[in-house]
Amino acid sequence: MSDLPAVGAETPIQVRNPSALDLFMFSASAWLLHRIHYDTPFTTEHDGHPGLLIHGPLQGVYLVQTAESWLGDRARLATITYRHLAPAYLGDSLECGGTVTAADGDGIDLELWARKPDGTVTTSGTARFVVA
Amino acid sequence: MGVITEDARRWADRDYPPFEMLVTATDIAKFAYATGETNPIHFDKEAAVAAGYADVVAPTLFSYVVRMHASALVPPDQLELDGSPTADVPPLPTRRAMAGETSVVLGERVVAGDVISVRKRLSRMYEKEGRSGPLVFVEMEFTFANQRGDLVSRENFTRIYR
Repeated sequence: MSDLPAVGAETPIQVRNPSALDLFMFSASAWLLHRIHYDTPFTTEHDGHPGLLIHGPLQGVYLVQTAESWLGDRARLATITYRHLAPAYLGDSLECGGTVTAADGDGIDLELWARKPDGTVTTSGTARFVVA
Repeated sequence: MGVITEDARRWADRDYPPFEMLVTATDIAKFAYATGETNPIHFDKEAAVAAGYADVVAPTLFSYVVRMHASALVPPDQLELDGSPTADVPPLPTRRAMAGETSVVLGERVVAGDVISVRKRLSRMYEKEGRSGPLVFVEMEFTFANQRGDLVSRENFTRIYR
């Protein structure tokens, strides 16, 4: 038997508030050149967004980190699937959390999400972690 | 019906050149700082070795960095106004793109000094009628391997055009 959390267990909520600097660092580190993540005039005037967008893949990383920091060395990520349901903009605070939906001897399945304080889910996903 | 023209089919049905990236400790540290990682195994070789790795280890979803370099590390005249690589933009009547689903299967961890190769292929392009007109789904598959040929990760990514 593993010492992994049981079905129904919830991760602690991690609140993420990426700054303009964080968004730029993510774009720069990945060579992700889309202007909607660092060029405010382009994003608002040309693309009609209210502000810079928080990258979808960065939110995917936040989901993984929420589970990883909870599970520590006990398990490692085997698969994750996520989709973006609503845009997240610079200044939005994202509450990231998850729930264990299945458990067996080899690992656990988790439902993961990032949502705004008003409850709007911006990214949701499912992941499987296996005993390390 | 049918916004996926012969032109778009030809665009889709092609081979992508393979891409390789030597992953340095610097690349790993940049991505780790950008995503708020604090674990020393991403920054400090001694800590990584103590944890059983050969060198500083990349955060779990680091392959994303490799796949972005594979498509966006091009001369600036091969970029669109919005920063997208021109080669990634399908010849469709619309260019309004949304990210769809991302699905990743993890294999071997990436450590500094690894040479990660990525193979990219378009797995599916299809259309559906949405509430405000046709939606085109472009599904890409990326397979990442290290210099020993071990699978590092496989990613399926869907972009939706409307």
